[in-house]
Amino acid sequence: MLPAVRLEQITTAPSVLLVEDEVVVRALLAEELRGAGMQVTEAASADEAWAYLQAGGVADLLFSDVRMPGSMDGLALMRLVRRAFPAVKIVMTSGNIGPFDVGQFDGFLPKPFAFSKAVLIAAHLLGVEPPETP
Amino acid sequence: MTGPQCVLVVEADILVRQPLAEYLRECGFRVAEAVNAAEARALLEAGKLPIDLVLADAAADADAVFGFAQWMRRAQPGVDVVLAGNPLRAAEQAGEICNDGPALVKPYDHRLVLEHIKRLLARRR
Repeated sequence: MLPAVRLEQITTAPSVLLVEDEVVVRALLAEELRGAGMQVTEAASADEAWAYLQAGGVADLLFSDVRMPGSMDGLALMRLVRRAFPAVKIVMTSGNIGPFDVGQFDGFLPKPFAFSKAVLIAAHLLGVEPPETP
Repeated sequence: MTGPQCVLVVEADILVRQPLAEYLRECGFRVAEAVNAAEARALLEAGKLPIDLVLADAAADADAVFGFAQWMRRAQPGVDVVLAGNPLRAAEQAGEICNDGPALVKPYDHRLVLEHIKRLLARRR
């Protein structure tokens, strides 16, 4: 049973649920997204992300890797989120193109990708003013 | 110019890690997150984030976390380490390898965690 917790949603900033099992990629991308004004929840697996959502966690956008350790991969998570939270935008990323239809996502980024590109896609989908490029 | 001080929160449970990390961000800290000791070590070894203090839960996988804390002492002596978890189990080991003894117990009281972190980081200034 999930513990009773108060998941923090202190600001009204648009929220991103970032699911990535490579910790350095996850941490640095999360910093970039926060720097662009988004609230970011970091999950190291699809299972963790789903536990967060099931416990009442908020996300306007799911940004997830396809390949993931645990009981489900990013595609299974995407399908669950589509069913349970249809308003959530979904951006997937993968080192492999397929075997999946990228048209089912709101955005797809093949790996490796520039963090700035990920931020632009997220900002566009969330209606956030994108950061100025130096 | 220096930015906000950076805290690395090491905690396996997203329902514990996320609220604590967000609270610390609201309090002005830059916060990195890791789900276990291996991730924490990978982050520190990558050297991409200027981590000042590590707060690690020693309850879930005590051996891995104590091993990580001992590695920290050797490889990252400038980074403060705070262990949290079951104080009875952690007391003897943690007292030797963390900066301020095994003072944090779970479930976390966010305000106590904040005070603890501030006290430790104030010593660095």
